[in-house]
Amino acid sequence: MILESMRPTLAAGIPLLAAVVILFFGNRVRPNVREAVTILAAVSMTCVIFSMIPQVLAGNQYQAKLWQLADGLSLSLRADAAGMVFACIASVLWILTSVYSIGYVRGHHEKNQTGYFSAFAVCLGSAAGIALASNLLTFFVFYEMLTVATYPLVVHYRDEKAKASGRKYLAYTLISGQLFFAGIVFIYARYGTLEFIPGGFITAGSMGKGMMALLFFLMILAGTVKAGVMPLHGWLPSAMVAPTPVSALLHAVAVVKAGAFCVLRVVCYVFGPETASWCGGAAVLSWFAAATILLSSLVAMRQDNLKARLAFSTVGQLSYIVLGISVLAPYSIAGAIFHIVAHAFLKITLFMSAGAIFVTTGLSEISQMGGLARRMPVTFTCFTITSLGLAGLPILAGFISKLSILEGAWTAGKPLFLAVLVAAALLALSYLMPVVQMAFGNGNAGQNCGNGHGDDHSHGKPGFDAAPAMLLPLVITAVIAVILGILPNAGIHLYDLAQMAASAVAEGGM
Amino acid sequence: MTGPLLCLMRSVSEHFPVLVILLPLCGILLCPLLSWIRASWGKRAVMAGLFLSAVCAAMQLGQVVKQGEAIHYWMGGWMPPLGIEFVIDGVNGIVVLLVAVISFLTALYSSPFQPHNRQKWFQTAGYYVLIGFLATGLLGMASTGDAFNLYVFMEITALSGYGLIAIGEEKGPIAAFRYLLTGTIGASMYLLGVGFLYAATGTLNMADLADRLSGLSDSPLVILSAGCLIVGFGIKMALFPLHGWQPAAHSYAHPAADPMIAGIMIKVPAYGMLRFFYCVFRENSPVMELFFQCIGIMAVCGILYGSLKALRYDTYNKILAYSSIGQVGYIALGFSIGNFYGIVGAVLHILSHAFMKTGLFYTSGALKYRYGIHETDEMGQIYRKMPLTGGTMTVCALSMIGLPPFAGFFSKWYLALGAIQNRQYFYVAVLILSSLLSAIYFFRILEKLFMNPETAHEVPVVPTEEMAEGTRPLPSGKFELPWQMMIPLAAVVLAVIGLGLCNSAIVNEVLRQTVEEVFLQ
Repeated sequence: MILESMRPTLAAGIPLLAAVVILFFGNRVRPNVREAVTILAAVSMTCVIFSMIPQVLAGNQYQAKLWQLADGLSLSLRADAAGMVFACIASVLWILTSVYSIGYVRGHHEKNQTGYFSAFAVCLGSAAGIALASNLLTFFVFYEMLTVATYPLVVHYRDEKAKASGRKYLAYTLISGQLFFAGIVFIYARYGTLEFIPGGFITAGSMGKGMMALLFFLMILAGTVKAGVMPLHGWLPSAMVAPTPVSALLHAVAVVKAGAFCVLRVVCYVFGPETASWCGGAAVLSWFAAATILLSSLVAMRQDNLKARLAFSTVGQLSYIVLGISVLAPYSIAGAIFHIVAHAFLKITLFMSAGAIFVTTGLSEISQMGGLARRMPVTFTCFTITSLGLAGLPILAGFISKLSILEGAWTAGKPLFLAVLVAAALLALSYLMPVVQMAFGNGNAGQNCGNGHGDDHSHGKPGFDAAPAMLLPLVITAVIAVILGILPNAGIHLYDLAQMAASAVAEGGM
Repeated sequence: MTGPLLCLMRSVSEHFPVLVILLPLCGILLCPLLSWIRASWGKRAVMAGLFLSAVCAAMQLGQVVKQGEAIHYWMGGWMPPLGIEFVIDGVNGIVVLLVAVISFLTALYSSPFQPHNRQKWFQTAGYYVLIGFLATGLLGMASTGDAFNLYVFMEITALSGYGLIAIGEEKGPIAAFRYLLTGTIGASMYLLGVGFLYAATGTLNMADLADRLSGLSDSPLVILSAGCLIVGFGIKMALFPLHGWQPAAHSYAHPAADPMIAGIMIKVPAYGMLRFFYCVFRENSPVMELFFQCIGIMAVCGILYGSLKALRYDTYNKILAYSSIGQVGYIALGFSIGNFYGIVGAVLHILSHAFMKTGLFYTSGALKYRYGIHETDEMGQIYRKMPLTGGTMTVCALSMIGLPPFAGFFSKWYLALGAIQNRQYFYVAVLILSSLLSAIYFFRILEKLFMNPETAHEVPVVPTEEMAEGTRPLPSGKFELPWQMMIPLAAVVLAVIGLGLCNSAIVNEVLRQTVEEVFLQ
């Protein structure tokens, strides 16, 4: 059943409105008031999105048709199971990253904070729009908004290095975005609809095989660029010049997940499993994803900078999602959707830990972190737990999603991917455990450096852990990661939603 | 409402097409006299004329939409084909409204640029007369249904354009002279083309021409005339390779008049081309064939040439001028696609590009006015001091690149849709390439604006020479610019966003019927 409601509009509209408010009044009011707007918007957005869960779980969908965006196509939002998963994590994590951001940017005395919080809000509004868009044009509008809104965050420091990575980011995303645009126009001209349908609306055989494959790659490119599938991942490690909360946002919440979600929508809701496998596109995509998983782990091992290592780990983990989708089995699709959730909580904890370490001690290289765990015990405990989760250890969030993907690969008769996935789990251990080992091992890092910037006023007591505004969010995300590992349906039934979405795709494709 | 007033209203409403043109003309005629009495009255007369004209244009468009058919207005009651006929339908109704609105905004915007020295009343009056004539000419070109009358208005436009370019910056007179030479060739070519058609058919009314031409499909006279018209309109709309006059003219024109020159002076001839070929030659297949091919090639080359050329410059106005060559190519591309979405895309692009480019030239004028900035390298951090200017620049630049949800995206959407329906995939590739190239040069500007270190500006430099002699110091106080300049900037931003979000209302309510019934029978 489809329920007409304003709620999807509110979900995407609140952050955008907050962005405008922050942009216009941010410099006129005290920072506390400005940040209160961010938190208020984040909390109300989360409430709106959570309020839709019961009905969506019952198999209904909320829909908001706003107005005609272009001739014959409306700007319309619909909350379906898959979209709800993405919208939920985006909104929850926005609250946490906002709290963390406030601690970080103040602790680090960042400039241009108003623009920063405003662009952040636009990113989250676009992410909600991407999650809830019910047709490709609406999706594209929000997708490009996300591209543009992320740019000021990437170039936040406004130096030469930031400029270079900003250019790189734009080159990757705009080129792929324009090709996506061409694909969308082509589909509309050819099929006369852009509405997402579980199982897809493009029927196999409606075009030549070669043409279909070409179209598939045009459409998939934008998603794979943002999701960082090799060889299109180049922008992601360079975007590390941004402040750490931005990296957390880029890597865990909005941008890369939007890419993965784009792949999901295109493969499962536009082409459908049948057409995607018929034209051969899905198979090629899955090989690229598998290669990325292995290669990125090898590259990650060689990075000494903690954020760079985490960036390459993101590249690999996102390819799990892409692989899960492109295997096209119901289990693996459910696993992929749930991995969006699991990876979000795991990776954001890791990034927030990296940021907390940097702000508190000024250290960013792994080799300097010997013995740092004694200085920051809570941070490193969370770091360790989530590292294990990322490797897929049982009772942690990463396990269930990876298990589902494995199951899917097995039922789809692709045992080779099983080997890849298992190998990748071991590789993940091999690049994250050394960090833990280093921190808990001998050494006296953090003992003599008070903090990175020589002023003690804004941080916790020297010798204790990071400032509470940074510590609290990362503890919460780590705890959630554990809870989701034990009870994947705890609270808001995210795993059920993922399974619902996957079975809808499978049934629609029949 | 009382009886006589209602009666008056009704009789006024019958005369909108002519009032739209006469009201600014009245303002112009009164302007020198009023200026002589009191320096500021003259410009107010022109502004009032343009404002009323915009109101009439809006109400006239409302009438057209409500009636669902074109308004035919016979000048002086003389019947066509002998008398002059004004025809207002959905497509030119909206172009007329666009011209009137932008002319009014630009007249308002120009006000702070004028010398405040009482002795110089004549200079102010002269400027406003030129602006008014430019608007009148453009409004007339867009309204008329008579081929020769179009020539007359084209010359009015061109003459006032020469003046406004010549009184601009140092190199203005040279640019104006160049435009004068090229523009005269363009107008003569148009006249020649109309002359050939007159020789072939013996009529000048467009509707009548269309009827009589249907039997003359292979006449060499007609094909020759089509060639002349392509060149004539091509020069006026600065379509590659006939754009030679445009970069200098757009770069060096009077900074206050530049938004209008760059925004609408090249758009109305584009509309004229659309009207002439689709309404006059429509059934003449050899001509249309020629038209599609020529315009397609010119458009593609122009899009690529303009975008590549814009990459080479650091002067703000030059970048904008070359980008216009590319953007006019978009419009021409729509003409050569020639199906419903192609034409709709072209008309929407006339509207959206007019607002975007006008907005960008407003920001250019504002930067010159406040700090004397010409080069993009000098823009570092200027958005802190001039947030509205910086914001307008950002919105218009993103729209020029064609990013949603701004106006520029949707015209590109319709153009691409039309091209794919015609299976002209090459055109889609060109559109995409051009978007990416414009992303390079516009993001380069934005990068400088937001990220370059602040350049030291001597506290408000006086931009143009005529102002140097003026007595008034530059505005100090709360706002970045005088309110007369803030309003147009804000209006343009709203228009770019509004046109983007409400494009389907324009397409379905205003354009659809006319395009389907008049342009594509």
